[in-house]
Amino acid sequence: MTDVARLSGLRVLVVEDEMMVSMLIEDMLTDLGCAVVGPASRLDEAMELARAGGIDCAVLDVNLGGQPIYPLADYLREQGLPFAFATGYGDAGLREADRGSPVLQKPFRETDLARVLGELRTAVD
Amino acid sequence: MSTANAAGPDPGTVAEMQIRVTALTRALDEESRRADALNRIAAAIGSGGDLQGVVQAVVDGGVELTGAAFGAFFYNLTDARGESYTLYALSGAPRSAFESFPMPRNTAIFAPTFAGEAIIRSDDITRDPRYGLNAPHRGMPQGHLPVTSYLAAPVTSAHTGAVIGGLFFGHPDAGRFPERLEMLIAGLAAQAAVAIENVQLTRAAREDAEAQAATRERLQFALQSGRLGSWELDVLTREYTASDLCKANYGRAPDEVFTFDALIGSIHPQDRDGMLAAMEEAIRTGAEYDVEYRVIFPRGEVRWVHARGRTAQSADHGGARRMAGVSLDVTERRRAEERQRLLLNELNHRVKNTLATVQSIASQTLRNAPDPAAFRDGFEARLMALSHTHNLLTDRNWEAASLVDILTMELRPHAGGREGGGARFLVEADRDVPLNPKAAVALGMAIHELATNAVKYGALSAPGGRVSVRSHVTELNGEPRLKVEWVESGGPPVVRPGRRGFGGRLLEEGLAGELAGVVQLEYRPEGLLCRMELPMRALEPTE
Repeated sequence: MTDVARLSGLRVLVVEDEMMVSMLIEDMLTDLGCAVVGPASRLDEAMELARAGGIDCAVLDVNLGGQPIYPLADYLREQGLPFAFATGYGDAGLREADRGSPVLQKPFRETDLARVLGELRTAVD
Repeated sequence: MSTANAAGPDPGTVAEMQIRVTALTRALDEESRRADALNRIAAAIGSGGDLQGVVQAVVDGGVELTGAAFGAFFYNLTDARGESYTLYALSGAPRSAFESFPMPRNTAIFAPTFAGEAIIRSDDITRDPRYGLNAPHRGMPQGHLPVTSYLAAPVTSAHTGAVIGGLFFGHPDAGRFPERLEMLIAGLAAQAAVAIENVQLTRAAREDAEAQAATRERLQFALQSGRLGSWELDVLTREYTASDLCKANYGRAPDEVFTFDALIGSIHPQDRDGMLAAMEEAIRTGAEYDVEYRVIFPRGEVRWVHARGRTAQSADHGGARRMAGVSLDVTERRRAEERQRLLLNELNHRVKNTLATVQSIASQTLRNAPDPAAFRDGFEARLMALSHTHNLLTDRNWEAASLVDILTMELRPHAGGREGGGARFLVEADRDVPLNPKAAVALGMAIHELATNAVKYGALSAPGGRVSVRSHVTELNGEPRLKVEWVESGGPPVVRPGRRGFGGRLLEEGLAGELAGVVQLEYRPEGLLCRMELPMRALEPTE
């Protein structure tokens, strides 16, 4: 079981281009005590937030209106920042390099998100 | 002369000599006539002409050789009842002589001939015990050719022994066919058999050749219309032969040399091992060769080829000596499969995203609902709004939906009523704007929230209230932007809500964030005002 308390204060960058879905993730993260950075719906916006620093991990949509998230994933990996994917594609849309990251298949439950964040948190520690 | 005996002139006399000379001359004439006839028959048979001509020559020659009044050849082909024979050639009588009455029947007289038993010779057939036994004629039918002397021989195949038919000769007078004619007619029948069989064999061979040519032509047609190339491989020498269409499947011109090594070289490196393994398996076990692989054309184009083949003729070492088969360009089918796979993947993605959207709607409706009934009303209405936007998108292949359509669709349910219907809404757009699916769903939800709020608390909650929606496209720093203004009037005085609900959050945060725009809600006392300013690049459909 994930210790929800461990997630408290975790600064999570949210990148999601579906309005309703990003609102949902925001609510879930708020419920878990995390601080939401974003949500960003476009890659340039997301890159800007990531470069600005002050994040512990990220939850990324794989595809932003036809634009792949890969540049951000590469940047986060370089920075040693853990991230998870939230996608409707399952594993199918992922590059080989991204296979190691946790994947949340949409739709997912708050407990699924908490579990994945727990994994990311462990990577941070 | 007085001493002449009754049998003729005295031997040794001039008269007797003359008679003998005359007889010898006649005999000689007869012999030369027969020799002529035989020559003609041999020539006709040797000519290899048509069956009718050959058989006619045989019958004509037979009439001449035997001195018959008429002759005929009948095929050993009986009618459905197995009785009458088929007349093929006739000599010495018009064909009409046979047309007025039935063909020879399988009677006691004719049976031995068609059974191939023996030559039948009779000086007077009308006195033959076998004659006249058969009903209905009991003898020669009225009007039949008058036959007294009768000579018949079966024509029998030398190699199968089957009776091909019969040669028949007749004369109205008795005793016209001496015994020696039996040998002659037997020889003639043998020649006729050979001639008929030769012609039949030639014809069968020609028909066979024609049939093969037709088959080849049909195969060629089938291969071409099916765009099937054909190929053949000599397993030992690796000699490879490909049809023009087969070469085309590998991007080669008909006149180009296309060897087995060139074939292997043209196959995509990732598919080559699989292709070779399938070929070896087919050669080793005789299994069907059936593979699909990518081919790289000389100019670099990559296409898909489906090749099928079979091995033929086992070699001494147990494997096959030759392989033959067809090849087909299946690039279009492969691309269609790929499109279908992408489409299914996309559909799955869309369904999963929609489920997540519905999850979000449920979650947020629940957060703001005072009781289960309110949750149910709000949730169902939002679900319907989402569904309606999906309908508009489906109408246009999920590529776009029109802004005006979305506005009209969300407002129409609230336009009715006693106050004069559509007059409660005014929609003005300087131009229609196509929206991409995400923007359509987001704006659809936003307009739904505004309309629901207006009906519950705003202008549409009072009899005289009105809503006007105006949209126009402007530019900011050279970037086109869509401006939408939602203006309520005539409703109860507006009070800013104590806590922002789902609609407010969706408009000010969700919509603004998602579409990279600015959304302002002004709670003016005279009516709610909502200004949206959204960059067109966030709205435009891709492509």
